[in-house]
Amino acid sequence: MIESQKNQQSKPRDYGMFDAELSGAVLNLQLLRRLFKWLSPYKWQLLASGLLVLLTSFFAVMMEVVISRVLVDYVIIGETNSTMPDMRMIELTQWVEQVFDIPAIYSAGILFFVLMILFSITGHYHRLTLISAIVAGLRDLRQDLFSHMETRPSSFYDRVPIGRIMTRVTNDVEALYEMLRGMGSLVGEFVPFFVALTIMLSTSVELTLVLLFFVPIVGVATYFFRGATREIFRIVRNTVSELNQNLQENLSGMQVVQLSQREQKNLESYTKINKSNRRYEYKSINLSTVYGAFNDSLASIGLGIIIWYGGGQVVQEQMSLGGVILFTRFMNMLFTPVVMLGEQLNVLFRAMASGERIFQALDWDEQIHEPANPVELSGRLNGKVEFRHVNFGYNAETQILKDVSVTIEAGEKLAIVGPTGSGKSTMIRLLGRFYDFERGMIFLDDIDLNDLRSSDVRLRVGVVLQDFHIFSGTILENIVLGNPDIPRSRAIEAAKTVNADGFIQRLPNGYDTELVERGANLSQGQRQLLAFARVLAADPEILILDEATASIDTETEMLIQDGLHKLMQGRTSILIAHRLQTIQEADKVLVLHHGVVKEFGTHQQLIDQKGIYHTLHELQFQDVSLDEDGRAIAKQKATDDAS
Amino acid sequence: MGFVAFFVARFFEISAFYLVSSGIDEIGELLTRSADAASNVSDVVSQSHTLMTLAGRQISLVTGVILNDVSGYSLAEITAGIVVCVLMRFVFVMYARRSVRRAGIGVSFDLRQKLYRSVQKQGSGFFARMGVGDIMTRAIQDISLVQRLIAFGSFMFVIMVYAPLFAISFMLAKSPSLTLLILPFVPVIFIYAKHAAGQLATTSKDVQDRLSDLSSHTQENLSGIRTVQAQAQEANEIKRFWKTNDAYATAFYAQGRINSLMMSWMPLFAAAAQLVIIIYGGNLVLAGEMSVGDLIFFMFCLTMLLQPIRMAGMFVTIVQRAAVATDRLYEIYDAEPEITDAPTHKTPRNIKGEFELRDLSYTYPGAHEPVLKDISLHISAGESLAIVGRVGSGKSTLLKQFTRMLDTHRGELFLDGHDVCDYPLAQLRVQIAQVLQDPFLFGEPLKENISYDDSQRDIELIWDSADSAALRETIEAFPLQMETMVGERGVTLSGGQKQRATLARGLIRNAPVLILDDCFSSVDTETEEHILNRLKQLRAEQTTILVSHRVSTLRHSDRIVVLEEGRIVEIGSHEELIRADGLYAELERAQTQGASSIKKDRDDTPVTT
Repeated sequence: MIESQKNQQSKPRDYGMFDAELSGAVLNLQLLRRLFKWLSPYKWQLLASGLLVLLTSFFAVMMEVVISRVLVDYVIIGETNSTMPDMRMIELTQWVEQVFDIPAIYSAGILFFVLMILFSITGHYHRLTLISAIVAGLRDLRQDLFSHMETRPSSFYDRVPIGRIMTRVTNDVEALYEMLRGMGSLVGEFVPFFVALTIMLSTSVELTLVLLFFVPIVGVATYFFRGATREIFRIVRNTVSELNQNLQENLSGMQVVQLSQREQKNLESYTKINKSNRRYEYKSINLSTVYGAFNDSLASIGLGIIIWYGGGQVVQEQMSLGGVILFTRFMNMLFTPVVMLGEQLNVLFRAMASGERIFQALDWDEQIHEPANPVELSGRLNGKVEFRHVNFGYNAETQILKDVSVTIEAGEKLAIVGPTGSGKSTMIRLLGRFYDFERGMIFLDDIDLNDLRSSDVRLRVGVVLQDFHIFSGTILENIVLGNPDIPRSRAIEAAKTVNADGFIQRLPNGYDTELVERGANLSQGQRQLLAFARVLAADPEILILDEATASIDTETEMLIQDGLHKLMQGRTSILIAHRLQTIQEADKVLVLHHGVVKEFGTHQQLIDQKGIYHTLHELQFQDVSLDEDGRAIAKQKATDDAS
Repeated sequence: MGFVAFFVARFFEISAFYLVSSGIDEIGELLTRSADAASNVSDVVSQSHTLMTLAGRQISLVTGVILNDVSGYSLAEITAGIVVCVLMRFVFVMYARRSVRRAGIGVSFDLRQKLYRSVQKQGSGFFARMGVGDIMTRAIQDISLVQRLIAFGSFMFVIMVYAPLFAISFMLAKSPSLTLLILPFVPVIFIYAKHAAGQLATTSKDVQDRLSDLSSHTQENLSGIRTVQAQAQEANEIKRFWKTNDAYATAFYAQGRINSLMMSWMPLFAAAAQLVIIIYGGNLVLAGEMSVGDLIFFMFCLTMLLQPIRMAGMFVTIVQRAAVATDRLYEIYDAEPEITDAPTHKTPRNIKGEFELRDLSYTYPGAHEPVLKDISLHISAGESLAIVGRVGSGKSTLLKQFTRMLDTHRGELFLDGHDVCDYPLAQLRVQIAQVLQDPFLFGEPLKENISYDDSQRDIELIWDSADSAALRETIEAFPLQMETMVGERGVTLSGGQKQRATLARGLIRNAPVLILDDCFSSVDTETEEHILNRLKQLRAEQTTILVSHRVSTLRHSDRIVVLEEGRIVEIGSHEELIRADGLYAELERAQTQGASSIKKDRDDTPVTT
């Protein structure tokens, strides 16, 4: 039990997998089978769709039979006793003639039109049932994928870029949509192919075989064409994305470009990509026009053969004239599916790679260990936090925290000071239960954190991160963050307390102002105040603040300091501080260096100690804002920085 | 040329159909002949061997098609005629499609080049109006719409004009009465096609919109995953995602439904026309006024007539969308650069760095209040000047006047005694190095980023400037050092590292004037101190203008200007301003003693829960 909770993973995970571009150029049946798991709830729709496509194909073929065998042979030429198959359509026509007492030609017309209506109806419902099953199945798959990703732990997000996950949730699922739709229409083409083939074979085996000879020719042509264009298409896609990237970057950095007088040089590099794009576009056009025209011509040559060969057969009374016409009308049914198969192969291969990426993400089982029998927290915690001989590293090689012990009594405020890489952030991440660690290290009101559900811990430990993330939505929605337990009044109350109310009221719609593009319409300081309001509204017992390093204009800075001060009232607080004001707010200061507690005490005590803290204080005249490189301390101790 | 080729291709296509129907007729005739049929067949077979020698007769065959007279030719000749027509069609169709699609690619190439050139000339007013996302949409979507119009639209247009033209003329030649009976179907189908294309365009746009909702929702959620998890809101977020996800699925289904309906209605309309051919045409055949081949030919022609009409709906949509896209592109192409480069060539080639501001005011286009109001200031060559003020007091606006990033009014800003508007724009921007507030790095190696204005610079110089910007140790820690890629595809630098990299980019130019817009905000005070000392040495004789919020930064400068609502309210050295006990002195107190003043009233605030 304890072994399994070790923070060091037994098998190191290969996060590089998420970066790998899978080739996926093979037909992976297992993958398709797995995909079917999401379609199986809709299997009745799929079944109905399958039945409907059979009916549709039957009607499509019968329409042609009516034209050639009934109209031409029976009605016009008046030949009824041919050995050629007519699928009893002639009988049906005769029956219609008798029932309605109409000439044969009207009867054939009615039959044709009724078949057409049936064809349209069954065809429509075939497509409808198919698409509804695909849409629903893939929607569920996407939802499961999102839920899965949403609950992966921080250690996962530390290593895998968000863009990679984005691709899976959006583009890769899209590729599956495309593939399933393509497969659906392939079925819609191949069923008539076989129905037509059966009738053709029973009409004239020789002529059918001659025509079938064309199928592999189309197939081979398609294969070579796809092979030749695949690489070209890939280059075209790459150049297009390079073009966009280049333009985007140039636009974002336009001021720098203009100030550096780089316009000409940038235009040249853009032109180069644009030209290479044009060159490959031309290449792909050359190939595809040859291929397209070749396929079209082949079909017409097939027609020529039918006329020539079939003509001879007619004369020898092997075939009826209607039989020949039937062949000419079935030509397309033979060629279209082969051409389409070629088109779908690329989609299929691309979808295979996408499917692989999706399932790889779904199989990623990394998660925070949750206790089997969690301790239920009742009522408010006192807020005592204890770190007891904490040793921790994100991987086996580097240890970040080394025997860190500190107790923060309920309601006490602790400032942690130290350069980046000293382990400050790690301490608060552990307390927020974002990573797995061994039992017996961190306690909340004397309860081992490993005995609590991670969600319980997070509801009671409020974290204000340096980078305040704004979700699109109103100010109010950003404060309550979708938590239905926070009423509007409490959110506004919280905003008032942390001095955010002032600027919010000045916004056009107050609390209902929509925030756009990651809060571009808010200043750094305003975002900080909003972050305070968000945490205060959630009302956690313990507050963790990772103070923003960027300097803000003095007036807003005062509002922030005041807001922070109110936020900390009655809460155990742990502050990763960069400003002297913040540090002086705290009851105790802990100086962390290379994961080791170097100094601990009140501001005054540490000043008197004349150690690291004292030096920091002396060095930084107005405010203690520690550099991310740990320069201040690196000067003191000429040791290598772990980061 | 493409159009002509198309014309020819269409001709051969319909000829092929025509020959097919003649072939069918021929078979019918053969069928009615009974006794000598066998000998005739052997004739046909033997003639087929001489297919290659038939080339001469093909011409008369084709003329036969035109003159609507192919009787008297054997099956083999007709088959050969088909083959020749098909081959001719192959060549012409290929050429036509190719030239039309190449034209589309060529146009989009030109449009892209033009767009790139246009945006490079634009100033900040343009970018404030357009936004990067907006320009990107135009560059990607609108250009591809125009390309589609040229490649497929003109293709469709040709088919739409020629195919019905040929089909109708051939049909008229065969049976005018049957043709006239079919023609009324054309407008009906066109109206439906147009209606359906409109519906399809709406639903497709809806699908696109829902898809982009889905992407931005995912993007936003994943970027904020730590916040979501910190607040234990995963379940809530998953529920929220369901709505977006389901909305996309619904839109996708709706589009599929419309598409499917169209696929059902179109053939039904066509079948109604076909019904007319079967009954009316069938009766004609029975009456001996038409051949079986002609009946089948009419059915071919019907397809040929209706296919383009179906397309017409789509064509209208493409034209409409491309017209809008073109308008949007020309909004960029036609935008006049805000800053006019009109050098008088009477200005010195090398500037010294002395500025004179005379009642300089600036109002952003569209704004009511001026951001800068009557600023008068003299900056001597070699001086270091610092500017401080609240957010929105006009600091950045003022700095942008020096390099004419904003359109400075004539007669308000003088450099070395000449109006800045008289200098060549390029000279101003080369000789005045300006580091912007937003530390922007390109997705290129660090080396390229630092020596951005001149990629030929010696690597030692680049290291020197990195050193001056206190970035040497950071770069040395990267395995690839100066070759390290930054930006999206490379390493992510911290805010302070980015600022120092852009600072190095400014320093490397060793320009007569250096302008730093709040470039130390994320750099710690101690490193900043180090950089400022370095700057003092390097730029003792050169003009330096900087903006900062920190007194620790400001105090190093010869003079400090305090801006308040676009006006200079205080000016002087650090000591002078402290003695004056004004805004600056207040700021200094706030930054040094702010903490203790808050401490005082700590216990007066009520506890909120």
